[in-house]
Amino acid sequence: MRKLIGFELHKLFARRLTQAAFLAVALVSALFTFYTYQNKYASYKGRQASGGEAVALDKEIAAKYEGVLTDEKVRQMMDELAPKSGPQGLNAIYLYQNAMQSAVSARFSDMYGNWNGLRVEDVFGEEEIRIGYVDGWIGASRDMEKSFVFLSFVILIMLAPVYSGEYGGVDNLILASRYGRTKCASAKALAGILAAVLVTAVMAALNVGAAFLLYGSQGLDCSILFAQLTLTEGYIPFNITCGALVGYQVLLSFAGAVGTAAVALVLSAVCRNPMAAMVASAAVCLAPALLPVPETGPLFRLLVLLPIYQMQFSSLMSVELLKAGVPYGMLALPVSAGLLAVGYGASGNIFARHEVM
Amino acid sequence: MERKTLEQKTLEEKTLELKTLELTKQYGRKKAVDCMSITLTEGVYGLLGANGAGKTTLMRLLCALQRPTGGRILLDGQSIGKLGEEYRDLLGYLPQRFGYYPDFRAIDFLLYMAALKGLEGKAAERKSWELLEEVGLSCEAKHRIKSFSGGMKQRLGIAQAMLNDPRILILDEPTTGLDPKERVRFRNLISAFSKGRIVILSTHIVSDVEFIAEKILVMKSGRIIHWGRPGEITSEIQGQVWECAVSTEQADRYVAGLNVSNLRNERDGHTVLRVVAAEKPMEDARIVEPNLEDLYLYYFQEQAAGKDDKWKGEDKR
Repeated sequence: MRKLIGFELHKLFARRLTQAAFLAVALVSALFTFYTYQNKYASYKGRQASGGEAVALDKEIAAKYEGVLTDEKVRQMMDELAPKSGPQGLNAIYLYQNAMQSAVSARFSDMYGNWNGLRVEDVFGEEEIRIGYVDGWIGASRDMEKSFVFLSFVILIMLAPVYSGEYGGVDNLILASRYGRTKCASAKALAGILAAVLVTAVMAALNVGAAFLLYGSQGLDCSILFAQLTLTEGYIPFNITCGALVGYQVLLSFAGAVGTAAVALVLSAVCRNPMAAMVASAAVCLAPALLPVPETGPLFRLLVLLPIYQMQFSSLMSVELLKAGVPYGMLALPVSAGLLAVGYGASGNIFARHEVM
Repeated sequence: MERKTLEQKTLEEKTLELKTLELTKQYGRKKAVDCMSITLTEGVYGLLGANGAGKTTLMRLLCALQRPTGGRILLDGQSIGKLGEEYRDLLGYLPQRFGYYPDFRAIDFLLYMAALKGLEGKAAERKSWELLEEVGLSCEAKHRIKSFSGGMKQRLGIAQAMLNDPRILILDEPTTGLDPKERVRFRNLISAFSKGRIVILSTHIVSDVEFIAEKILVMKSGRIIHWGRPGEITSEIQGQVWECAVSTEQADRYVAGLNVSNLRNERDGHTVLRVVAAEKPMEDARIVEPNLEDLYLYYFQEQAAGKDDKWKGEDKR
């Protein structure tokens, strides 16, 4: 069985189209990371910096205030960081000078740059908010989100020919062989799932590794809620740390990859050629994200558990917290497990039972 | 009735018996295999038939690649469907058209097929190299299959079919794309391999069947219409094969009107025609010994002459 899985993996990764698709997505992912890093900007006490220097400056500022967010810290930050009046009369809440200033202004400033009178508990309730330099990791997570959505296309391209590619004539040989209908059919499904997990692992490793290199481990224990305005607006509204954010994201991306693989395998077994299998599985996987379903409706709560939203991750993580503070998104794990079971069983079975024509 | 007679003609010794009982395969209204009952024991069987006769469908049914519409296939009394892996373990199959993995090297392809057939480790490697040697591909073992010619792919296909030392070897048009030297090599390989096994091969190249097959099955419209040993089977048309010399100018007219199995131009301006006909086709015609090609023409004259349109476009069967 191991030998057969090895051969199937070899077939999957030897395809030029798979290699090209993966390289393209890895390149796009690297570009996202580079672009985000290069566009970092910070100004503080007359110093202006961009790129790596801006990250260093933001870290330096964050180091002065890091720890649990208190009313004293808020007042101190407002005194030291908040711009008193924006140039050309801009609303101070939306002014950006550095990450920490934007985070505090967004929540505790009025439009003139004065304290808005809100206390920490008015904004965050009873939650303990640990603050620090979180922009790097939140930015990396948002880039990773896009990369994983693209990665799901790589998985579809890679797995479309697992079974359908054999219908061109090799099925004659496979199905007439001793293990063609049994171990081989299973080995194909297992290899497909394993390949999806492997490419996801590589993509996650590349992204997380790059984030470590560029931003270090600073901020991983800090809340995602106290970040610059553009990163938190419409984003996950729960008090989780950057470390937890990345952890959930990687976990859900694996779940999404497995779910996507399951759909691709079934359609590969059903369709007679790889192109049809790829188009069909792309349509099935993307459809939930394209349906005009309001995010507040009950149907959305079901659709959001499907693989494409697991890859896209932030919508899924934004639904609600379940008991014991577990994000609703974790319900996607049993959904993917179910898809995996159905995909594994059905795809092998369809292939094993098909008649050679 | 058909089955009984065939059984009488098979070898007495029945260590391995593959039997079809009223086997039928229907595609829509067309019966590709029509209520066929035959018993095959050890030996080499040549399956002769025109395009669309149902040869490939029969072979696919015997390989359990297609499910019969009716009837059963039994190996030593047990349904091949129920035997499953056990049956496929005995099977070697070379399809008429088979796919391959262009980026695989020949040796990788054989090792993959060996894994599918349950051969492991060193045994798989040894057997793969041995067969590459047998089919004359050992020097190309590490070349990618996409660089192979049609004949080389066909030889690789033959090698994969024999990997598991199958006791039932089914070869659909095995000599397609092989040059004469390779065909001789193939015939020798099959002859040496066939002892104690059931080998079924279909081909349009009548001489291949003539040389290798111990028994010949003639298939038409999904049925076996005639069978026997190569020497015996032609007795059916004894006295119906003629040779006659005509002037080269007249030859075309005769070819159009008669069932001509061969035409040979002589230096003296005459053409010698070999004609399959129940009655003497012309005054100076003389009877000659029939061969398999004559027999083929006798049964498939409509298709050979392109006179029967219903056979057109059925090549896939």
